[in-house]
Amino acid sequence: MTSVAATAQPNWFQEKILLGMTGRQYLRSLVTPWNFAAAAIIAVGVPLMIWRFAFGLASVTNLSQTQPWGVWIGFDMMTGIALAAGGFTIGATVELFGLKEFHPIERPAILTGFLGYVMAVIGLILDLGRPWNMVQVMIRNGTHSVLFEVAWCVMCYTTVLSLEFAVPFFEWLGWKRLYTPLRKALLALTVLSVMFSTMHQSALGSLFIIAPGKLHPLWYSPWIWIFFFITAVIAGISMVIVESTLSHQVFAEKFKGQHVDLDKLTIGLGKAGAIVMFAYFFLRLQGVVDGHAFGYVKGFYGAWWLLEMVGLVLLPAFLYAYGARNRNARVVRIGGILGVIMIVFNRLTVSLIAYNWDQPVRYVPSWQEIWVSITLVTVGVLLFRWIVNRMPVLTPPADAPAH
Amino acid sequence: MTANAFLASYSAKVLEYTLAITYLILFVGFWRYVQGGKVAQAAKAVAHAPERIREAARGAAGWFSVPEAVYLHPGHTWARLESDGTVTVGLDDFAHRLVGPVAEVGLPQLGAGVSQGAAAIRLGADHKTVSMLSPVDGTVVAVNRSAAEQPERLGDPYGAGWLFKVKTSKLAANAKQLLSGEGARRWLDAAGESLAARLSPQLGHVLQDGGVPIHGIARELDPENWDHIAREFFLS
Amino acid sequence: MKLSRRNFLKVAGVTGSVGLVGLPTRANGAMSLASETPGETERAVLVDTTLCVGCRGCEAACAEANKLPDPPSDEKVFGELRATSPTAFTVVNRIDNPRNGKPRFAKKQCMHCVEPACASACPVRALDKQPTGPVSYNGDRCMGCRYCMVACPFGIPKYQYASNNPLVRKCTFCAARQAEGKAPACTSVCPSGALTFGTRGELLKEARRRVFGNPGKYVEHIYGEREAGGTNWMYISDVRIEELGFARNVGDASYPQLVKGALGVPPFVMTLWPPLLMGIYAFSHRKNGDDEHGHANEAQSKDGGDHD
Repeated sequence: MTSVAATAQPNWFQEKILLGMTGRQYLRSLVTPWNFAAAAIIAVGVPLMIWRFAFGLASVTNLSQTQPWGVWIGFDMMTGIALAAGGFTIGATVELFGLKEFHPIERPAILTGFLGYVMAVIGLILDLGRPWNMVQVMIRNGTHSVLFEVAWCVMCYTTVLSLEFAVPFFEWLGWKRLYTPLRKALLALTVLSVMFSTMHQSALGSLFIIAPGKLHPLWYSPWIWIFFFITAVIAGISMVIVESTLSHQVFAEKFKGQHVDLDKLTIGLGKAGAIVMFAYFFLRLQGVVDGHAFGYVKGFYGAWWLLEMVGLVLLPAFLYAYGARNRNARVVRIGGILGVIMIVFNRLTVSLIAYNWDQPVRYVPSWQEIWVSITLVTVGVLLFRWIVNRMPVLTPPADAPAH
Repeated sequence: MTANAFLASYSAKVLEYTLAITYLILFVGFWRYVQGGKVAQAAKAVAHAPERIREAARGAAGWFSVPEAVYLHPGHTWARLESDGTVTVGLDDFAHRLVGPVAEVGLPQLGAGVSQGAAAIRLGADHKTVSMLSPVDGTVVAVNRSAAEQPERLGDPYGAGWLFKVKTSKLAANAKQLLSGEGARRWLDAAGESLAARLSPQLGHVLQDGGVPIHGIARELDPENWDHIAREFFLS
Repeated sequence: MKLSRRNFLKVAGVTGSVGLVGLPTRANGAMSLASETPGETERAVLVDTTLCVGCRGCEAACAEANKLPDPPSDEKVFGELRATSPTAFTVVNRIDNPRNGKPRFAKKQCMHCVEPACASACPVRALDKQPTGPVSYNGDRCMGCRYCMVACPFGIPKYQYASNNPLVRKCTFCAARQAEGKAPACTSVCPSGALTFGTRGELLKEARRRVFGNPGKYVEHIYGEREAGGTNWMYISDVRIEELGFARNVGDASYPQLVKGALGVPPFVMTLWPPLLMGIYAFSHRKNGDDEHGHANEAQSKDGGDHD
């Protein structure tokens, strides 16, 4: 795209950071309604975070002695990590299962995963009472604790994600000597990513095994770790469907010239999603039978459980199936949206709604907690946009082999 | 706890196994539902075809190329704006390969008027004729005599195989009905797949010559009624 | 019954009986029989609520020993069942005995479980079970994840949410005093003998003596004998202890044991996944003559060539 005015060749900063524009042009380009909304969100969110560190958790949260974990754990940490599962699912699809046609959506999925984990870790740092002691996890023997394993796996996996993301990052900078060995390592990194993801996605569920009295029997199971892992796979598939659809629309420019048949890929993902969702429905049924909990399908929690199982598992399973069978990408996309909602619903239910279900006084998040969570999501989206506009994530790298 | 009560806790296992067996039965049906359907069957037939056809079907858009700056009409003719303001018209790569060797090419007269979507070109082979539609409105200002006399020239459908040129004031309006670039490629992809769905595995041998796409696919598909297939694609 | 190691092996070999394997031998060291009491030699406390007069001297002594604010002196605190708090490691609750209308009191504090859920949950070993009995807390290591609060079935750990350098707060069992050979502050001041400090094994025997030796006087249950796998603070009473503000659905399973299965999964994943995933990789790339990094050779994907 040639600029109208006869400017000199943009310097490195202008080209790489300002998208080829001058400072003034770039700043002007930032003036959009969406950016205003984002700025407003962050303008309140960041001071809230500072306030939390200055005055303690009680000053901004509604956490209590009976409810130690709130929205920052239930949403930012648990839901965020589940929704970032696209990184390993699509990575496995392309690199391990050899379905190369999914390659165009592999890098954005990894980026979503990377940013998702970074935001989840920031959410965690906000929630921890004494985050500077996080290093203790690395030097103490806490192997008896599920949370120890979660912490280690999240650390390792975030490292793997950073290495995977480093490839487009270094390609953007043109540092061939750094990205070449990383590219070669992609297979090993993918194996590690599937391994670590399996471990911590399931372990996030295992956290609740130690609290049978506190989690409602329709959700409590010694097998909850299987459910969490399978829903992570579903989350990966659904999130990639949604994210690729949005990217394709918002960043349509980037896709010009590439032969990305997104509808075909979406239908392929829908097929996989249908099968896994269907199996998951029966897995949950087995869990309830195994726990002798069928008698609990009544009242508010019974209705809530039915809403999840029928409306958010069975229904999207059939939407995926119908869309895949009839090559209808739009129906698959609706299934994708429901799949994402299912994950959010499930994680929030397990951590906040079905937890402490029989307590007289229940936790309601404070507006500050919610605002901070929204701030983190906003920052993640902004980072996604910033990176995608500059680095070869939606576009192939300059020296990519033609395929 | 009596022995009865102890073992009774395993009654849940009976229910679990029953549930699992029910699930397995349902799973078979669900799997087939997800995979099945006529459209998918056709795609699967291609998928099980010999390697080369699969390659060919996957690269269908590459089979049928479309250069930049060329606008495709759904009837598989193309229009290209020249630097002198005229619009060149021809038949696209897909049409060319679909019909195969052509005995005669009928073109409009110089000065004749053509309308977008109306028949303007006649292709003849095997005592059958197939019409093709003009992609644009206009007045014919040039005709490619050598293409008409030596139909082999159609082998370069976007270059030496051009058919005629028109002068038109309506290109902008016409262009709304035409495809270009990515959209055109995707549409050719779809046409290629639709074609591939009709390919039978036996056709594999036709592609043995180094993977060059066959010429005259319509005739291979149905020697008796190839013109029906061609007309179906050419919308004529 | 003591078997020498040689005889033991001979007998086991001759009879092939699996049942003999469980017997302890001097040579083998400590293999406990199921009937041995968990935490037998650990320090523990027996709370006999029939003897408690509700003076709350234990609250005052605890506050003094731990430098906490003085507990409220007003009797009005008995109006509702209280929980412990970041500034009150122990509280005394009161209900009226439904059988005879008399007030009954029960002291509430950390149960110092034999297999504490909080210690097993803590990823940095800030909470740990001491061999002498107390479940100790080392704030220097704590990162404030509050998983201990999720884990504890009695809801004991309390958090200093209002602080920007918060700690977990709970009864320490006066481990420092115990190290000096003294009894905990609360048991030291109890005037009525409701609190008896001793070893868990002895106190269980004493509890059984009182409960079964005085039929009809007590509810026939020793709260803490089996709850959560056994706790070091045990209660006997003539009302059901749950009425006095204690957790109702604790269950007898040791909480750390619940997690053992799930904890075993990650090492298996680390072992199985690489060969499994590489097998999938090899299988899916078997035909195409791909290079080792899974990129299809260029020649194979030739087509009309208007890709970029």
